[in-house]
Amino acid sequence: MEILTAAAIGLMFAAGVFQLLRRNVIRSAIGLFILSNAVNLFLLSSGAYQGVIIAYTTLAGQPSDALPQALILTAIVISMGGFALVMSMLYILSVRYKTSDVDEINRLRF
Amino acid sequence: MAQISSTIVLLPILIPLFGAAASLLLYKRPRLQAAWSFGTIFLSAATSTGLLYQVWLRNQAVVYQLGAWPAPIGISIVGDMLSATLAFMAQFVLTSGFLYALGSRDKVVQYPGFYPLFLGLAAGLTGALLSGDLFNLFVFAELLVISGTVLTAISDDKYGTEAAYKYFYISLLASICLLIASGSLYASYGTLNMADLAQRISANPDRPLTALAMVLLMVTFMIKGAVFPFHFWQPDFHTTSATPVSAMLSSVVVKLGVYGFIRMTTLIFLPYRDTIELVLILLGAFGVLFGGLSAIGTNNVKRMLAYSTVGQVGFILVAIGWGTPAALAAAVIFTFNHSLIKSAMLMLSGFVASRAAIKSTAFNMLRGIGKQLPFAGALFLVGGLALVGIPPTNGFLNKLALFRSGIEAGEFASLSFIAVASTLTLIYVIRAFQQIWWQTPVEGVYAKPGGDHLTAPAILIALSLLIGLWGEPLVRLAQDTAIWLNTPVNYLQLVFGV
Repeated sequence: MEILTAAAIGLMFAAGVFQLLRRNVIRSAIGLFILSNAVNLFLLSSGAYQGVIIAYTTLAGQPSDALPQALILTAIVISMGGFALVMSMLYILSVRYKTSDVDEINRLRF
Repeated sequence: MAQISSTIVLLPILIPLFGAAASLLLYKRPRLQAAWSFGTIFLSAATSTGLLYQVWLRNQAVVYQLGAWPAPIGISIVGDMLSATLAFMAQFVLTSGFLYALGSRDKVVQYPGFYPLFLGLAAGLTGALLSGDLFNLFVFAELLVISGTVLTAISDDKYGTEAAYKYFYISLLASICLLIASGSLYASYGTLNMADLAQRISANPDRPLTALAMVLLMVTFMIKGAVFPFHFWQPDFHTTSATPVSAMLSSVVVKLGVYGFIRMTTLIFLPYRDTIELVLILLGAFGVLFGGLSAIGTNNVKRMLAYSTVGQVGFILVAIGWGTPAALAAAVIFTFNHSLIKSAMLMLSGFVASRAAIKSTAFNMLRGIGKQLPFAGALFLVGGLALVGIPPTNGFLNKLALFRSGIEAGEFASLSFIAVASTLTLIYVIRAFQQIWWQTPVEGVYAKPGGDHLTAPAILIALSLLIGLWGEPLVRLAQDTAIWLNTPVNYLQLVFGV
């Protein structure tokens, strides 16, 4: 299971970075989303080795660590807001520049 | 209980946050909204002055444990010497930014979302500076980034959205780096509280993920501070945003990166201090050179000032890299003074642009227009001299403290490098002054009547002259901060309440 989780996270990082480096702005934004979800999984795994019993119950044994999940919850909410903003800005850019090629969105050269 | 008296550290964060929410309710009453927002930020700046008074003059650093959970478990909001000083600086400069926005003729300041977002920027910046927890810093930094992005995206410049997108994209990468670093540190040490992290990293510096976390944190703060190899989004972003906003972004917002580096070298990563300092000296020195050269090569006064920020942040990083108490004091003095000067200079260039026939900060639109604006010219000249570091301005204090600390530390190689590169500042400041105030204007070009108000930059320039003539309080504040930073055990005792 650990190997599988590690491989999944690694795969998501790889896919995210690959998409991030594409020339198409929309694809690179998607890469950012994938990367951000990979990071959330990574955060989840950072608390994975601290016991197996559900936290905040009276079951015997070492309870698992609930903090990474709280961190992820915060990170998800923030990234959702961020992605909404990215999408809205991409919409404005696509209307104004009529292109999705990164190299053509360069009117800020002085 | 100690909790109640320490609420003062929460006020500079909570007041702008609540003020932002309340000012959204006033969206149908623009004048009332503007007045309310200015009142909010003024009150907030007053409380951060009170915080500095408490921390510095009464010598009682304050910490607030949210929810009364003791330190490593709960989130701590820490007002120590460094945080209180920088929060005071940030809020003071932000107040002047609001003052400028009140007198600005830009369309963007009339949008109902402008003041709430500006207050959000203030809350995010102050919160990130006062937070004693790495993840909490991330949350406040996101608030700062999102507010700054939207403020730039709605600016009068039609390319603002492009710049804002670039910035937000890079900032999301920075937050991903910060999250990976937090995850690595949490997996290795089981805590995200800065004081607790410092303790555990000192006790056990060789966990497998520590170096990764350190590198990623450095990348994060480099992006936040627009440090040399990660600066590429910064000139676009600071050029296109509305004047009151860009004056804040280029002065106080980039100081979040500086703050992060000071915290890393003096608290969190003490066992790795030498490595980080070496990197900071190298990048800072190249930043000084690169920022200066790029600033000379631009044809736009705001862009020139934005590149100048890359260079000036380089000076601060070199000072942090030297790492002696005198150098840290110099870094604090430099941080403080640069915020005052750079925001004033950006406001002045925005003022000149608002008087131009076509609103633009490009030199060819502004050529010779300053002949009819002598007061702004005088202010710009004084501000420029301060940027270069010529007495009797506060810029002289910066360079004096910096170079003296370099000589004391015996860092002659980096010192001579930045001393030579700092002469570039003189070249680009004089060039801008010459273009706008000396050259003969094109036939038929007049400054428009009206335009932005000069109150805010006048106050900032007057203050920089005052600090230049009577700099003792600032120097003493910086020295006390450096002494505090030099004994990290103070911070640990403060947070853990021992």
